[in-house]
Amino acid sequence: MHSEKQKHDFEPKIIAFVCTWCTYAGADLAGTSRMQYPANVRVLKFPCTGRIDPVFILKAFQQGADGVLVSGCHPGDCHYIAGNFHARRRFAAFRKLLEFVGVDLNRLQFSWVSAAEGGKWVEVVTDLTEKVRAMGPMQEFKELAMEEQWSGVINTPELKEAYNQI
Amino acid sequence: MTQPIDTSIYADVTEAIRSEAARVLTEGQVSAVVGYAAARRKGSAQPIVISDAADAGKLVFTAACVNNLAVYLTKAKKEIPKKGKIGIVVKGCDLKALVGLMGESQLKREELYLIGVPCAGVLTSIIQPNTELTSDTIAPKCRECDAHLPVGCDFVPGIALRIQPQLEEKYSAEIARLEAMPPGERWAFWKEQFSKCIKCYACRQVCPFCFCEQCLCDRNKPQMVETTPRPAGNFAWHIVRAMHLAGRCAGCAECERVCPMDIPLNLLNRKMASELKELFGHEAGFEVNDKGPLTTFTEKDDQSFIK
Repeated sequence: MHSEKQKHDFEPKIIAFVCTWCTYAGADLAGTSRMQYPANVRVLKFPCTGRIDPVFILKAFQQGADGVLVSGCHPGDCHYIAGNFHARRRFAAFRKLLEFVGVDLNRLQFSWVSAAEGGKWVEVVTDLTEKVRAMGPMQEFKELAMEEQWSGVINTPELKEAYNQI
Repeated sequence: MTQPIDTSIYADVTEAIRSEAARVLTEGQVSAVVGYAAARRKGSAQPIVISDAADAGKLVFTAACVNNLAVYLTKAKKEIPKKGKIGIVVKGCDLKALVGLMGESQLKREELYLIGVPCAGVLTSIIQPNTELTSDTIAPKCRECDAHLPVGCDFVPGIALRIQPQLEEKYSAEIARLEAMPPGERWAFWKEQFSKCIKCYACRQVCPFCFCEQCLCDRNKPQMVETTPRPAGNFAWHIVRAMHLAGRCAGCAECERVCPMDIPLNLLNRKMASELKELFGHEAGFEVNDKGPLTTFTEKDDQSFIK
């Protein structure tokens, strides 16, 4: 039943922000149908894609995610009627902003997965995991988090001189 | 090459503002007028709130009148008398901010008396307020200004703007330069810029649109944005700021002017404005819209980036 588990050098961390009504149910269907998909994905359930603030994506990257998936109901199927329409606009803008500050958008995937699309969930997760695996770890935000406060570095000649005079 | 900018109309504009402010205050049309007054250093100007017609002579308009006074109506001066109308002196860019605030139900048009100013441009910096306005000292936002004359005000002095030289658009050029870079270099550019940030939040305090009573970035349960001025928190703060202003920013560039560390904040705002124009056809203007581009939607919005 279980396919043979492959060994990889790098196992990416994928955070999936999903809506409870469609994609979460779709992922649940994939599970109950015993479909196999990479265990790299960590699913976080939200009431609606409209609830997913772009800052969550940022936070996920900062806390060490290598890839982020945002998934919800197909347009027109939102449980709250228009939540995913608003989310669609917001994420279209947020993508552009991330691109402009230099984030590789291949690490960020948006998708519509309905409660009946267990197969599509498997496909989306597998694709993203393999894509991110090929790209390697997300270094930018991790390096940023490791860096010290700017004032902790004494690097200008004036500051050095002042420091030496103490 | 330095080209002079003709600001000779500002003397007449000052006279017109004074007499109009005195008139509306004497007639009791407004309870207060927010405007600019000469400050202590020669040539400098500062915001002032006057409620007595006798003080109208204090009002001025010069190239040092850089502030966007709209901020005084949303948060900085909530104690400005609520009774009656409030008069406010606005440049074209400031009026766009006021219009945006009206669209967001922060202000009511009928509670304002708008004194529009034909504006040829203001200084980049008021460190030396007494400098002549030239193509070198003019604020970058004024180089690409399309609103020299505010539209829809209660009073605009009938003074014709002089023809000004065509200036190179600095923001557009800089955005194009950044867009042409590979992502890694862009990241390095912004990393360096944001690492200068000292988290003084001057950009937030001066922004007329950052009117939340409690900012997301001040909350600590959950803490979405690190508050210390470390690179990680700085990056998050500036992305969140740009995102929260996307589709709302009127382009007054006050954030950039007040930044003590000279971070090119308006670049992010301009970039988002041009993206939103391209994606949803929205642009800050003089017409009040009660729905911004990110608070509304159409069923036909682009979703080519969604699987």
